[in-house]
Amino acid sequence: MTSMDDIRNKVRLLEHGVDHVHSSAFPGNYPGYDDDWSKEKFERNFKIQIIHITNEVKRHTGIGMDLDYIDEMEFDMIGIDAAIANAIRRILIAEVPSMAIEKVHIYNNTSIIQDEVLAHRLGLVPIKADPRLFEYAQPGAEDEGTEEDTLEFRLKVKCTKNPAARDSTDPDQMYRDHKITTKYFEWLPKGNQEHLGNIGPVRDNILLAKMRPGQELDLRLFCVKGVGKDHTKFSPVATASYRLLPSIELLRPVEGADADKLQRCFSPGVIGLTTGKKGKKKAFVADARRDTISREVFRHEELKDAVKLERMRDHFIFSVESVGALRPEVLVVEAIKVLQAKCHTLLQELEEQTQPAAS
Amino acid sequence: METPKDGNQPPPKAQTMIYICGDCHQENEIKARDPIRCTECGYRIMYKKRTKRMVVFDAR
Amino acid sequence: MADKKKQKIEVLPSEDKEDETVSTFVLHDEDHTLGNSLRYIIMKNPDVQFCGYSVPHPTENNIHLRIQTHDDTTALDVLKKGLRDLSDVCSHVLTTFQAEVDEYKASHPQTSHDAT
Repeated sequence: MTSMDDIRNKVRLLEHGVDHVHSSAFPGNYPGYDDDWSKEKFERNFKIQIIHITNEVKRHTGIGMDLDYIDEMEFDMIGIDAAIANAIRRILIAEVPSMAIEKVHIYNNTSIIQDEVLAHRLGLVPIKADPRLFEYAQPGAEDEGTEEDTLEFRLKVKCTKNPAARDSTDPDQMYRDHKITTKYFEWLPKGNQEHLGNIGPVRDNILLAKMRPGQELDLRLFCVKGVGKDHTKFSPVATASYRLLPSIELLRPVEGADADKLQRCFSPGVIGLTTGKKGKKKAFVADARRDTISREVFRHEELKDAVKLERMRDHFIFSVESVGALRPEVLVVEAIKVLQAKCHTLLQELEEQTQPAAS
Repeated sequence: METPKDGNQPPPKAQTMIYICGDCHQENEIKARDPIRCTECGYRIMYKKRTKRMVVFDAR
Repeated sequence: MADKKKQKIEVLPSEDKEDETVSTFVLHDEDHTLGNSLRYIIMKNPDVQFCGYSVPHPTENNIHLRIQTHDDTTALDVLKKGLRDLSDVCSHVLTTFQAEVDEYKASHPQTSHDAT
């Protein structure tokens, strides 16, 4: 039957339902096991493996988006509990700060996109600026802010006719400045901000509004530092997620036509086939990591008894995709620091609360 | 360009206002008792120009 | 314990004030992120009889963390140890992660284009 170690270390995937989902390795739960917290034990078992860190632009030839920006990393975090891995994931999404447009001063907008819709779109534009160099804006302060907490941009464009293109029917040739993208952002550095270097939208091809000759936009944009739990526009990641490492075990030999069938039940590359004795195909587990754990095998009566599907409870495959302001590996570091800062502030406050009572 | 926040208060009565023709988009100056009519095409539906006052929005 | 600015943590009044092995702490402006990690690390402490947390109301931004200990410590000390342990975990994860990133970058020379 299922061994004690399997119950403690693996999540079991069955045809109907999932077993041993929660971590249960707490002191007193398992006779004969030492589950007391030990810093040394944790540090001995804990591992991180970087799978890849990718930062590149891919060019597509198809219709629609012609560029694909990739700014992501994948890493394995091994030997840690879901509670802490999940805390890091949650902090990446909701508590690592970034800069975003918060106030929009509209001096003129004669385009067909409504003021409030335009303002909302502007808020979602990712801003390339290191949030660690900024303070949080004071609540109730002027929109203009100070050089420590606010970045200001101007967006002032008027669409005009292109007199050179009389008989063209292509808007790109008929009009000038008719597609208002983030390219039109003009940074207005405050005080010493010029030293910050290359500040602006992360991409310059984000479409904000379309115009026709005579229409114009005249806006001031004010960016502040914030966190994702206040508004998603402040979230520094596009996605931050993890999955548990799959573990697939073949309980009996699967051969011949069944081997082919078994291979088709899993993601490509999970099950490999070798030619055994007498030239018969034989299935083996080539790479369990690639599996999505679809549990398709359990729909096949002749195969369901041949496999054991599990996930390693302490092996997290993290995937972090940055929005572009900070590199994903920097975001993870920041997330861990946020979690540690929570501990420190609480500890400090507990010390302060207990000290004056004693004196 | 800093537009004063109180710029372009509703003008006193006799002053002219600029309206935009609903048909040909011509800008027309129309005084208090003038006929509401486009000088260019004679169309009678006129639109007011957008306020020049600054409006603040939360980008949310 | 004067209510200075905003207290981040307070102790919920309990039935038995004398009994220091039992406490419910209210953590303001916190959620499952800290609640669950703290619960895990405190439950790993052998002096702890029970530890659990709850979000009393989904629109109120605080959590209740309940700790019951065996007789030889107090709930407050256990909480402090939990916070210290969690902070140690963070330190170790941080240094390990940074070392691995450095190693990765050394073995994968930058091919990165500045994405613009």
